[in-house]
Amino acid sequence: MAQQQGMDSALFERRLRPVYDNLEVGNNRKALQESEKLLRKHPTLLCARALKGLSLLRLGRYDESHGCLQAVAEEKPTDDSTLQVLSFCYREMEQLDKIVELYQHAVKQNPGNEELLAHLFISHVRVEDYKAQQAVALQLYKAQPKNAYYFWSVISVVFQGIRGPESALPEKRKIYLGLAQRMVDKHIKEGKLETEQEAFLYLHILKLQNKYHEAWEFLTGELCAKLYPGAPVSMKFELLKELGNWRELNELLQQLLDADRDRWDYYKEYIQSSFELLKLSSKGEEKGEKDSLARCQEFLQGIIESSERKKRGPYLARLELHQRMRADKLPAEQLIGDFDEMVIEYFNLFGDKSCCTHDIALFLPSISMKQRQALAGKLLLESGVSSTSLPQNKEQMQKHLCALQISRMCGSHMELPVDHLIAFYTALKLHYEHGRSSFGKKLLATEMGPSDAYALLAANVMYDLSRREHKSDHLFEALCLLQYVLRNSTSNFHVKLLSLKIYHLFGCQVGAQEMYEYLDIKQIQLDSMGYVHCQLLPLGGRFSGTRAVYDATLKFFTNSYKERLEYIALTYRFCTFSKMEEFMNFKERLTNSLQYVACSVEAQICDLVSCYGNVMQNLTAYAAMSIEPAEDRIAWHELSDNRDLDAIIRWDPLHQVNAAEERKESFDQEVEVLQVRSLMLRLFASFIDLYHGTGAKDVPAGTETATLELLRESWTGLFQRLRLMNYKPLPQTFLVNLLPTRLRLLLDLPYERFFDDLSQLVLDLQSGSGKLAEQCKRVGENVIVVMDVCVKTISECNDGNGTDGLWNRREQQQKVAASLEILSLYAFLLSVLNDKLQVSSKTKTKKRTADNKENGPQPISEKERGQMVHELMRQLKHKLEACDSAIRTWKAPVLPRDLSSFMSDMSLKPEVEATLIGDVSATFKDSHELMVTELRNLLKDKIRMAAK
Amino acid sequence: MTTLRPFTCDDLFKFNNVNFDPLTETYGLSFYTQYLAKWPEYFQLAESPSGQIMGYIMGKVEGHMDNWHGHVTALTVSPDYRRLGLAALLMSFLEDISEKKRAYFVDLFVRKSNQVAINMYKNLGYIIYRTILEYYSGDQDEDAYDMRKAMSRDVNKKSVIPYTQPVTMRELRRQMRHDHN
Repeated sequence: MAQQQGMDSALFERRLRPVYDNLEVGNNRKALQESEKLLRKHPTLLCARALKGLSLLRLGRYDESHGCLQAVAEEKPTDDSTLQVLSFCYREMEQLDKIVELYQHAVKQNPGNEELLAHLFISHVRVEDYKAQQAVALQLYKAQPKNAYYFWSVISVVFQGIRGPESALPEKRKIYLGLAQRMVDKHIKEGKLETEQEAFLYLHILKLQNKYHEAWEFLTGELCAKLYPGAPVSMKFELLKELGNWRELNELLQQLLDADRDRWDYYKEYIQSSFELLKLSSKGEEKGEKDSLARCQEFLQGIIESSERKKRGPYLARLELHQRMRADKLPAEQLIGDFDEMVIEYFNLFGDKSCCTHDIALFLPSISMKQRQALAGKLLLESGVSSTSLPQNKEQMQKHLCALQISRMCGSHMELPVDHLIAFYTALKLHYEHGRSSFGKKLLATEMGPSDAYALLAANVMYDLSRREHKSDHLFEALCLLQYVLRNSTSNFHVKLLSLKIYHLFGCQVGAQEMYEYLDIKQIQLDSMGYVHCQLLPLGGRFSGTRAVYDATLKFFTNSYKERLEYIALTYRFCTFSKMEEFMNFKERLTNSLQYVACSVEAQICDLVSCYGNVMQNLTAYAAMSIEPAEDRIAWHELSDNRDLDAIIRWDPLHQVNAAEERKESFDQEVEVLQVRSLMLRLFASFIDLYHGTGAKDVPAGTETATLELLRESWTGLFQRLRLMNYKPLPQTFLVNLLPTRLRLLLDLPYERFFDDLSQLVLDLQSGSGKLAEQCKRVGENVIVVMDVCVKTISECNDGNGTDGLWNRREQQQKVAASLEILSLYAFLLSVLNDKLQVSSKTKTKKRTADNKENGPQPISEKERGQMVHELMRQLKHKLEACDSAIRTWKAPVLPRDLSSFMSDMSLKPEVEATLIGDVSATFKDSHELMVTELRNLLKDKIRMAAK
Repeated sequence: MTTLRPFTCDDLFKFNNVNFDPLTETYGLSFYTQYLAKWPEYFQLAESPSGQIMGYIMGKVEGHMDNWHGHVTALTVSPDYRRLGLAALLMSFLEDISEKKRAYFVDLFVRKSNQVAINMYKNLGYIIYRTILEYYSGDQDEDAYDMRKAMSRDVNKKSVIPYTQPVTMRELRRQMRHDHN
């Protein structure tokens, strides 16, 4: 090694270049060759050996790679490039503690080497070992007295106090934070504080100890002004509030608001401080003066009157003051005026802005239902658009839209009779078309149409109608309308989201997929928005078609999982103390995303269901999935709900919407669904492992079935618990409500019994139990039940098609898909069992019969067992064929026919109308045909599997 | 009516009503995290009274000597909150920070075809400093305008004397490398 280091490193670097280059472009085979070539000349070149290990790792040759890397690590390398390659490999393999060891050795050989120490520090960061971080940071500071290192040690002390293992003990927390403060104090005294992040950290440490007074002194002092001129003013608010200094806060905010009159964060604090001052004055202070609320009102009024350009700020603040006074039973009306009149004034001033609806909605919950509906009526009147007139300009149209949206939020639409609602829908449709042709002609491709919101509202109304009548035709018409809107304003994502929802609701996966692709959901959106599509795909009716969507999602997650720790390392590198905790929490949220975990499990199930090779190929594919049945890898209590449910616009009646409740309920159910799916996967894997165990695990004789038995117990236990929990299906009151989870489906279909009986079958086959024949019969009966679900569902679907082809479609497709999922997994298992028994009956039959003489009944011979499995396969093949012939008869959904009137009111050219309805109908037809083809292909594979 | 606050990692889960806009790019995580880690104060978000994200600005400060300047990397406002002066508010925030950091000027790149944005920046006091050829790659490459506004530290307004020759991407990259070293 000494010889190697003595040689010209530039030369080596040049020789190593081709290996790096090939790795970079993913040409791993070539990289391996290049590294081997280099090693023939320089067999001791460590970096080349490490790169060989990396190439092997990338090629999936894990054992060789491991050996190679291990050998390099044992040489305790100290050169940067070798260390980099090794730590890269360990990061890939999630062996983060090995990186720590690696650099510990390197540092030992080069004490005081700044670069190595810095790497060692970051390796501790990756495993969140704050204590070790602190020690290394101090060594670094000794080696190189840079502020960054000093503060690395400070923050490491802070984290020991607030995040480390001892942070739960209040006295320990106090000690650590006290120490951290003293460390910074000392630095300040020596005049060594240099950056704003250091100043931030000091303030943070003071606040963590509730030392608000000292924090205030520092924040308003000279040093902070110099180092941290950009300190957010909200820090001052926070401290003044903690210090109870309401008067100063009140005055500060008045100054700020004078300069910046549209800042909600300022108004909110200002109003709160006014209420706090009122509390103080009632205790006897400030006699003789006006009370603080009157002064607040005066101040707001002053801003309103002195502003040249009307800004929403002071008006909204006045409404907020009104609302808060009423909540405290104070005479709001007397001081400020009539609430309705103020809202109307606001509406008249700002109703032409699309945000006006959100603004007014803020204050609706504070008034009674009766008052809400009366107010909504007044606003409609104010908009100047009646049932017989049309908006005269864009501004009036926006006002009309706002008034309509508010009236829906106030519940005004809910009580209308059906014929009124239909008339209302027609009016909305007309308004859309009028607005489009009058004000939306020169639209840029990137703009939304000015009247699009009419159509969005119309779709919601049509859902209400469909739901009331349990019929799909209204909603189908709404879908056509939305597709029409989308042609006119191609970038309106609200339209895409609602269409996507309706397609799913009707089980039309092709349409849904089209909308999903149109939305161009990518990167982190795959996590936060995956629920609109990815989450709805499993058991939607297709298997292979959904796999690509999972892949795209999983690719994002695996990449960010790999990088997650490097983001945190970045905050250390830049000494961004204000972001470290945030980054750590973000990492947790991302890695524990329910979407991530659920998607991985569904993708694995999907792969097992759709495997189509011979037994050996399938088993190889299975082994590559490396499912460990004995190990529950899901951190159930950490699962995170990252869905952005607010991305979908809604104006549903506020009194009937409980977004938080809906989020919680749906999340809880999705977690339960994941429980079932993940357990099913593990249980199934334990069946396979029993017959095709990897061999690596040395299981003591007699305990081979322990995992299976344990999982089986959990399986029945889980279902028992779920039935007791009695989850209600998610409410489907409004169009944007989340679709029901699969929980009910999983409980209603014979999943529980099927896999429970299958467990017994697998056990009996293993032991050759005398009850085997009986168990075969049970399983055979289960197969018939599952097949019946498939066949009956399809015939129900065909029978109902004449009346309504869409309303129950999704549910029916789910049932068919679920039954085929069960039978497909079963087919795979039988093929594996058959294979094993064939092999062993050839080799072991004689030996076994000779062994067992002494006790009890003789186990059934392997030959007989093989015959029984044969019989089961024969039966399965037969039933799969029955499923196939049912699917062959499955009719495409009959679509609502009477659509000719749909477009007649619109100024559409007949050919546009024809292509529009034609396109939507074709999408449904394509979707059905594609599903049938995919399912039949699946069945064909399984029939072949069962025929062997 | 706006709450201005620093953009946080959690906002990445909630910014869809802004990012579904066709002119707003959703970048890979490492892009956002790099900005958040390196220039946290340059990544600000505007929130509505109802808690919705109305828009955000993402920027940085870099350069040597009299090239020390603030840069706007992304500025976006949700379709529901346009024409309320939000972009101007976010820009003035970024200029404010750049003033505090003693930057000489603030600059940004904009598509030559994005007339709405160009006009807005002009109204905010930006001038077209130069043209960058084929800055935006895509089905059809597009030129960018490099727009600038001088900050108070640049007393003689040297930074905003327009450059008459268009600049190629190659030259731009060379300059940027020079800046970083």
